[in-house]
Amino acid sequence: MREYLLFALKRFVQLAAVVFFGISGAFFISHLSPISPVETILGEVTGRSSVDPEAIAQIRQALTELFGLDVPLWQQYLNFWGRFATGDLGPSLLAFPTPSMKLVMLALPWTVGLLTSSIIITWIIGNFLGGLAGYFQNSRLLKLFGVVSIGVQPIPHYIVAFLMVIVFGFLWPILPISGGFAMNVRPGWTIQFVLSILHYSILPAASLVIVGMGTWFLGMRALVSNIVTEDYVTYAELANVSRGRIVGSYVIRNALVPQLTALSMALGGIFSGTIITEQVFTYPGLGSLLVSAVNGGDTTTVLAVSSMAIIAVATAIFIIDLLHPLLDPRVKAA
Amino acid sequence: MQRHQTLMAAAMIASVGLGSAALAQEAAPPITDFPRNETLIINNPENPAKNPGWFNLWVRGAGNGTSTGLHQLVMDTLWFIDPDAGLDGSNYNELAIAPPEYNDDFTQMTVKLRQGVLWSDGVEFTADDVKYTVDLQITDIAKYAWGARFENSIASVETPDRYTVVFNLKEPNARFHALFSVRWNAAWIMPKHVFEQQADPTAYDFNPPVSLGPYVLNSFDPNGAWYIWERREDWDKTAMAEWGEPGPKYVIYRSIPSLDKRLIEMVNGDLDMIHDLTPEGMFSLADQCSTCRGWFPGFPYAHPDPTLPMVIFNNQNPMFQDSRVRWALALMLDPVEMSMASYRGAATLSAIAMPPTGTHTDDYFERMQDWLINYELDTGSSTIHPYDPTVGDRIAEMVRPQFGDAVPTDETAIHKSFAYGWWKKDLDAASELLESAGFTKQGNQWMMPDGTPFRFTLKTFTEGVINRLGTDIAQQWTQAGVQVTAEVAPRIFNDDLPLGNYEAATAWSIETWGGDPDLSFFLDSWHSDFVVPPDGTSRQPARNWQRWTDPRLDSIIERVRSTDFNDKPANIALGMEFLKLMVDEMPIIPVMSFNVFSAYDTRYWTGFPTAESNPYANIVNNWANSKYILTQLKPAN
Repeated sequence: MREYLLFALKRFVQLAAVVFFGISGAFFISHLSPISPVETILGEVTGRSSVDPEAIAQIRQALTELFGLDVPLWQQYLNFWGRFATGDLGPSLLAFPTPSMKLVMLALPWTVGLLTSSIIITWIIGNFLGGLAGYFQNSRLLKLFGVVSIGVQPIPHYIVAFLMVIVFGFLWPILPISGGFAMNVRPGWTIQFVLSILHYSILPAASLVIVGMGTWFLGMRALVSNIVTEDYVTYAELANVSRGRIVGSYVIRNALVPQLTALSMALGGIFSGTIITEQVFTYPGLGSLLVSAVNGGDTTTVLAVSSMAIIAVATAIFIIDLLHPLLDPRVKAA
Repeated sequence: MQRHQTLMAAAMIASVGLGSAALAQEAAPPITDFPRNETLIINNPENPAKNPGWFNLWVRGAGNGTSTGLHQLVMDTLWFIDPDAGLDGSNYNELAIAPPEYNDDFTQMTVKLRQGVLWSDGVEFTADDVKYTVDLQITDIAKYAWGARFENSIASVETPDRYTVVFNLKEPNARFHALFSVRWNAAWIMPKHVFEQQADPTAYDFNPPVSLGPYVLNSFDPNGAWYIWERREDWDKTAMAEWGEPGPKYVIYRSIPSLDKRLIEMVNGDLDMIHDLTPEGMFSLADQCSTCRGWFPGFPYAHPDPTLPMVIFNNQNPMFQDSRVRWALALMLDPVEMSMASYRGAATLSAIAMPPTGTHTDDYFERMQDWLINYELDTGSSTIHPYDPTVGDRIAEMVRPQFGDAVPTDETAIHKSFAYGWWKKDLDAASELLESAGFTKQGNQWMMPDGTPFRFTLKTFTEGVINRLGTDIAQQWTQAGVQVTAEVAPRIFNDDLPLGNYEAATAWSIETWGGDPDLSFFLDSWHSDFVVPPDGTSRQPARNWQRWTDPRLDSIIERVRSTDFNDKPANIALGMEFLKLMVDEMPIIPVMSFNVFSAYDTRYWTGFPTAESNPYANIVNNWANSKYILTQLKPAN
C-alpha cells in the first residue's frame, strides 16, 4: 500500500508539473500572437466614420490599460497565475467584461456531450468488432467490416460531415443540419429538450463515429491477433474452455488495457473541441469559441480553453496511471 | 461462429430498419413550431454570437451579435436613408418628425421628435433619451461605441422641451446628422430610464432588451446561433408604424456561416431570406428553386451595394505618388477579365469613384457618361481617350450563351447590370505613361526611376469575389511587366489598411448612402485632417485608407460640410467635381460595386422588393434599414 501511495504521489507531482508547464507554454504562445485585442476593438470603434487620430490614441491607451497589457510580459504572466490561483481566468478581451470562463462554460456542455457520446460509442463498437475480427479471423462479415474500416478510416471526418449534410439535408432532407436543438424548444431538463438535442446531434455524432470507429477497430484487431497466439489462449482452447469465455475474459480483456489508455487520452482531448464538425453543422462548442478567440487576439479566452484542455488531459492520464496497477497486475506500482 | 454472424446481421438489419422507420416519420425536419404563415426566417451573416445573452449594443467589444435582429428590429434612431428608392423616397424621418434643422453657420442642429412613441416597457420616448445617449457615451470614449464620434463633434445637448433636442456643435458641420442617420447602422438611442438605474452601464447586458422598434425578444439560442423576435402588441406605438404594420408576427434570424447550407436551407423551405451566396451558389439556387430569386429577376441576380471594391494604393508609399504610375496600372487591366474572374460576369463595373447603385446611376453615371467618353489623357507621348463605353455590352454578350434570356438586352438595363463603361486595356498607353514618369523596361520587367524593379504586394481578402479579383489583378499586372504578388490578409480592414501596412490592396474606401447624392458618408473622413503619418502604428480612421491628400479634395469636403444636405443640385455638383478630380488623379482604381447575392423565397411570403418594378428597399438583410421590408410582406396564400 505504501508503495502505491508513493507511486500516486509521484504521479501527482508529474500532474502538477505538466499542468504548470503546459499552461505556461499556452500563455507565452498565445501572447506571441500578432493579433491585438486592442486593435480589434479600435477597428470597431473607428472603423465606420471619422474619428480624430488623437482620440484614437487615447482609446488605444485606455484599452491597453483596461486589459492589463500596459505592463511587461513577465508581470502579465505573474498576474495571470495570481488570478488563476483564485479560480479567476479574467474577463474575455473581446466580450468584455464577461468572464472568459462564462463563455467556456456556455460551450463546454455541448462539446462534452457530443464528443463523449461519440467517442464512447465509437470505442465500444470499434473495440467489440475489432476484438471479434481479431479472434474470428475467417469470418467473411468481419473481414468485410475490416475492409470498410480501412477504406473509411483515412477519410477526413469533415468530408464525411459534408457528405452527410448533402445526403440527409439536401437529397433526402430528413435530419436537421444546423444548431444544437430545435428553436421552439426551451432549454431545460425536459424530455422534449433532451430528445431535441439527440435529434440534432445525430448527424454531427454520426460523422465522428463513422470515421472514428475504424481506428479503434483496426487497433483492437491487431492487438487481439497477437494475443490469440499467446500460450495461455492456446492452453485455454486445449482445456476446452468455452469460446465466449476465451474471447471475453482471456483475449479482449487483455487487449483492452492499452485501448483504455487511449480512451482516456481521447476523452481528455475533447476539451479542445472539434472545430470542423462544429463549423459544418453550426454546432455549438469549444472549438468555435477557440477559433474566434484566436482570430480576435482574445488571449484570456484562449488561455481559459487551453487551461481546461491541459488540465483535463493531464488529469485523465493521471487517473489512468493510478488505475493501471489495479487493473493490470503486470504493471508494478513503483 | 455461424450463430454470431447471423446475430450480427440481424442486429444490423434491425438497426437500419428501426432507424429508417423513425426517420421516415419526419418528412422534412421542422426547425420551429412557429406557424410559417406568421414567421419570417432570415439568414444572419454573422457567426454565432460569442456572448449571446448580451444586448447592450452601445458597448463596444462585448462579443454580442448585431445583425441578429437586434439592430434591425429593436434599435431605433432619428433618421434612416435607404440605399435604394425607399417606400416614400429614400430618406425616412424615423424618431424625428422632420429633417434636421441647422442654424445659418451649421453650428447647431435642432431636432423635433415624434410624439407618442413608447419603449416596449410602456415608458414614453422623449428628448431626454437622446440627450442621455450622448451625455453617457461621451464620458468614456474607449468603451462606448459612439463616444469618440460624439466627442469629436458635440459641444453640448439641450432639451428645451420633451420633444425637441438641440445639438451644439464644436465646428460647423451640415452633415452632423449623419451620426443619427442609418445607412447600415447609426447611433442608436438609449432608454434613459433603464440605463440610469445601472451602477455601471458598461457592465449591463440589457437582457432582455427594452425595444424602441416594433419587435421584442421572444427567445434566443444560448449558443448564439438564432434569435426569435415577436411583434409588439403595441407596434403602432413605434416610429415604424408610419409605414404600416409589420407582416410577420415572428422573425427569426439564423446564423449560418456555411454558404452551401444557406442554399440547402432555402431550398428546404427553412429560410426566407439569404444574406449572401457565392455567384455559383446563386446560379444553383435559381436553377433549383422556382420560388427563389435575387435582386434582379435574372442574371446578374445580385444587389449592387453602395460600396465600391477597388484597388487601393498606399499613397504615402513613394512608389505610388505619381498619378501617371497609378493611371498606367489602371490601363494594364482588362475590365472584362476582372468581371469574369471575380463574379463570373455578374459584376457591375464602375470607372468612377462611385458605386453604380441606387440613385447614383441617375444622379452621376448618366451625367458623367459624355464627359468620360470625351475624356482625354496625356500619356506624355500622345493623347488618348481611355474610356470604353462598350464594356457592359461585351460582358452581356459573353454571358449570354450560358444564361440566355436571363441576360438583359435593353441598353439601360445592361448599363445598370454590367457597366456604363470602364477604362480600356491599353498597354501601349501604359508604357508611355511609365516612361514619362522615368520608368524603363528591361525585357518584360518595368524598372523604377531609381533602377530597382517595379514590384509590390497586393493584399486582398482571404476568400470570395474580392479575393478572386485581387489575384486576377496581380496576374494581369505581372503579365504586363510589374511584379505583383497577391497576399491574403485576414484582418485587412482591422489592421493592414488602418495601420498602413500594405503597398496596394483590393478592398474599399468608398461607401455611399446609395439613395442620396450626398457623398459625406465616406468623403468627410477623406479630409487631410484625419490622415496620420506613415509610422506603422498610427491608426488611420475610416475611410481614407489610401491616405491620399489634395488641397482640391479638402476644398470639396469643406464645401460639402457647409452645403445644405437637402440641396441636391448643389450636392450633385460637388459630387461631380469630386469624381472628375478622382479621374484626373486616380489615387484608387475604382472597379465595381460590391454585388451581394442576396436571395429570397416567395414560398411563404410575398411583397419583397425587386430591382425591376419595386426597388423600395435593399434586400441585404443585415442592414438595419431592411426592417421596412417587413411592412410590405404578406403571407403567400
